[in-house]
Amino acid sequence: MATKLSGNQDIDIFKDEKDGKLREVGNQAVWSLSSCKPGFGVDQLRDESHDTYWQSDGPQPHLVNIQFHRKTTIHDVCIYADYKSDESYTPNRISVRVGNHANDLTEVEQLELTEPSGWVCVTLRDSSDRPIRTFMLQLAVLSNHQNGRDTHIRRIKVRSPDQSSDVGAGRLPMFTSRELQQQAYVR
Amino acid sequence: MLLQEPVQAAIWDALNHYSYGDAIFLAERLYAEVSNNDALHLLATCYYRGGRPTQAYMLLQKKSCPTPQCKFLMARCCLDTKKYAEAERMLAGSILTKPKSYDEIEAEFGAMACHVFSLLGQLYSKTDRVQKACECYKKSLKLNPLLWKSYEALCQLGVKVDPNQVFSMPAVMAAPPPVPIVIPIVQSQPVPQAQPPPPPQGHTPGTDDVAVTNTIDTIPQTITTATTTTPGAVETNTTPRTICSDFTPENSTHDGKGADLWAPIRPTKFVKQEIPPEGPKPIKVLFPDGYLSPSFGVMLVESPSGLDPNPSALPFISPNPTPIMPEDTVLDAKAPSKKVVTRRKQSAKPPVFSLSGNSNTRDVSSQQQCGNPPIRRSSRLFGNSSSVKENNKTQGKSRFTSPKGVGRKSKSRSSKSQQELNELNKSDPSAGIKSSGHPEQLSSSQIVHMQQQSLGGLLKLLMGVGKAYSALAQYDCRKAVQLFEELPEHQYNTAWVLAQIGRAYFERGDFHKAASVFAEVHRLEPYQLLGMDRYSTSLWHLQREVELSALAHDLTQLDKSCPQTWIATGNCFSLQKEHDVAIKFFRRAIQVDPDYAYAYTLLAHEYVFIEELDKALACFRNGLRVDSRHYNAWYGVGMIYYKQEKFSLAEVHFRRALSINPQSSALICHVGVAQHAQKKTEQALSTLNRAIVNEPRNSLCKFHKASILLACDRHKEALEELEELKQIIPTESLVYFLMGKVHKKLGNTHLALMNFSWAMDLDPKGVNNQIKEAIDKRYATEEDDTLARLTDTMPETSPELGEEGHEGSSQSLSPEDIDPDLQAIESDESL
Repeated sequence: MATKLSGNQDIDIFKDEKDGKLREVGNQAVWSLSSCKPGFGVDQLRDESHDTYWQSDGPQPHLVNIQFHRKTTIHDVCIYADYKSDESYTPNRISVRVGNHANDLTEVEQLELTEPSGWVCVTLRDSSDRPIRTFMLQLAVLSNHQNGRDTHIRRIKVRSPDQSSDVGAGRLPMFTSRELQQQAYVR
Repeated sequence: MLLQEPVQAAIWDALNHYSYGDAIFLAERLYAEVSNNDALHLLATCYYRGGRPTQAYMLLQKKSCPTPQCKFLMARCCLDTKKYAEAERMLAGSILTKPKSYDEIEAEFGAMACHVFSLLGQLYSKTDRVQKACECYKKSLKLNPLLWKSYEALCQLGVKVDPNQVFSMPAVMAAPPPVPIVIPIVQSQPVPQAQPPPPPQGHTPGTDDVAVTNTIDTIPQTITTATTTTPGAVETNTTPRTICSDFTPENSTHDGKGADLWAPIRPTKFVKQEIPPEGPKPIKVLFPDGYLSPSFGVMLVESPSGLDPNPSALPFISPNPTPIMPEDTVLDAKAPSKKVVTRRKQSAKPPVFSLSGNSNTRDVSSQQQCGNPPIRRSSRLFGNSSSVKENNKTQGKSRFTSPKGVGRKSKSRSSKSQQELNELNKSDPSAGIKSSGHPEQLSSSQIVHMQQQSLGGLLKLLMGVGKAYSALAQYDCRKAVQLFEELPEHQYNTAWVLAQIGRAYFERGDFHKAASVFAEVHRLEPYQLLGMDRYSTSLWHLQREVELSALAHDLTQLDKSCPQTWIATGNCFSLQKEHDVAIKFFRRAIQVDPDYAYAYTLLAHEYVFIEELDKALACFRNGLRVDSRHYNAWYGVGMIYYKQEKFSLAEVHFRRALSINPQSSALICHVGVAQHAQKKTEQALSTLNRAIVNEPRNSLCKFHKASILLACDRHKEALEELEELKQIIPTESLVYFLMGKVHKKLGNTHLALMNFSWAMDLDPKGVNNQIKEAIDKRYATEEDDTLARLTDTMPETSPELGEEGHEGSSQSLSPEDIDPDLQAIESDESL
């Protein structure tokens, strides 16, 4: 798996969501952590605030498990980390694994963060370069900056392509012209 | 008895002046003092009107409703607090107690039976007994055709009612003259009520009333069951009341207390203005307004039908407006409610007017001066229709289509009347009585004539509106719009009518027109919430973000407790693709009004957007639970099943939606598509052909037909369809994409690629990744030299695009966009 280097990212990751091409699907999943300090758990990880964070409290690697009810197409995973405020708690090397369940995971991506200050997005592709479809996603924090023991992650988003190319006959044409859109959709 | 009267008078006065706290306090003291049924009913009424249905309910429950009025009020409280079973038991008995037949109910409740039936209809429809609900509504309409809500509910339930039958004048001037009559009388009453000796006052007008009512009594009454009541002065007065629900309880309980009876009556439309406390005056006041309007040309004297035009009368009409002007103004000011009547001018019956002029000249005009009014009226009808502001545009038409001669007349007289009319128009067209305000003693026959006329005029209006509304309820939108446009102009320019027209355009899919009509509604009456939900959806379709957010903002400032507000807000956020927020607002709409089906539908659509199909399905079904004729919800369920590839179920639901709304091309298309998915291709094609025959320029059907033909390998036909479609909608990328696929199948590589590139031009964001994939595949199947050839041809096609003069977008985009894409593809290929 290719190791990607991510520098400082200050991009606006929400543009695609606004355009309607991507959709956050974290709500459809069950989130669990390998360890956390009381008051710094899943809720703080999944809320909209950049000020609250998850703090792990156990041995490395620290794991974030995301399990979906059904096989979900994942476009990318976005992580918000801030070196300036977290310093040695900032994750350095993260491994992204997918599979059917906890004992069936394979790594698809490994990314290396270098003093990040904002969102870091990694698109997940399978061997035929399509968005991966999986039941379970795991983010493993392998190491932190300055060899810190525990890690802080402020936000994680998992995004799926919207109205994706669901194969099968149950797909209705997506019109590009407004007239046909209006005609086709009875609201 | 005497003990009660002043107190009761005071209580009614408080109620009439909306100070419910006073009324409740006094009523409680009265009830503590004299615990009889009247006082009980009065107290309960005070609670109910003061907005405390639960309190009223508990009180009545404790004392177990002795009188029919109490029962009716308790049933109303139960309906408001959703205790449907109990309400039903009160009114109609149940399986456990003895169920009453309609005749028994009619006998028991007498004059207010029409309202009882209307309430029963609501109860039955909420508890899913549609058949019985329809019967009840029909009965209520038979007893009182002026109950518009019953008619509306019937249409909503899908029953095809004949408006001609419903809104016909009862044979022989019988009909509801009592209503108008009552009102004037009533109005006279309240004045005296303030004075110490109410009874005498009450009787003064009573004498007039007696004369009138006696006349009325002689007329077979179809509208009110008042005929059954004894022809006492008070009672006859009360009977007309029965038409006005407010009055009935008081009337029936207060025998012989004329003043009291009248006092409590709150003329909703017939607002009692400052009526001089003179006996005869009120009547006149009342009469001038609507009753005189020639629109209700029921000629008592001439013919039973009353509405037959009598051309001979025409010559009688002579303009003579001037003397009447001041009086009319006065009267008009007094009785704003009368405007309704004016609206009902029935221009269609100039002879009617003339008739009235002829026979009733004296009668009708009696309001003003004896000889003048009729002449005046006629002059207004014919001569001065142009003077009436609202009638200018459709002068000729309205004159002969809208039976509001008199009203118009009075309107022209006073500038205020116009406004009043507009205001009244907004509410249900009720028999507004425009009092010409000439306080002259009217003979009873004159009074009756006037009443008949106004009533007839109102019924005519209701018939017109009823026809149009019924067409709309059957989703026959073109006809509905036509019929609405036939209404008189002043009625047309009201929020209610325009909102219905907007709805008609909306259901037809013509969102531009719908949005403009709704914008007019919003401009006319910014406080009107009636069609605002459909307005917001039209703006959503048109993707007009600014207007939609402005509308949502206005509505939230206006009224936070209406579902339309939250629907508009939800639509606003949905347009911004913030579906979670939109869901939050739609849920709020449901919370505010759980019986509003459209909110469920929109919520479900949002769930579909975020791919939570189970929740969406539940919401659609909830919407169907509330309103089983909500075809959007049927369509939605079908859509979900289609997405889940349960095609036969999808088809069933699409068909059900189609049966409710047969004119919608989108539904027909979806039926066809579902059939095709089940491999019933021939059926699919025939369905789509039928749709195309109905609407030849319908692009959606043509598109689906072309794709089905392609799937069946009927390439030539598909190509034909697509060519036609290209003419209709040149900017749809999927059209070119399909053409590309057809050409690919036919082996026309060059053309295929050309079309694919056009498709990609029109779809720069690549919403349809399929196009890119198809081109990828295209390349993949090509050999290397062909590939090279293609890369050569692609740049050539770009200038071709320019030459072809296709849409500007394609021209501008062509060279730059195509090449990078091609290069990207090529590079991928090379990998």
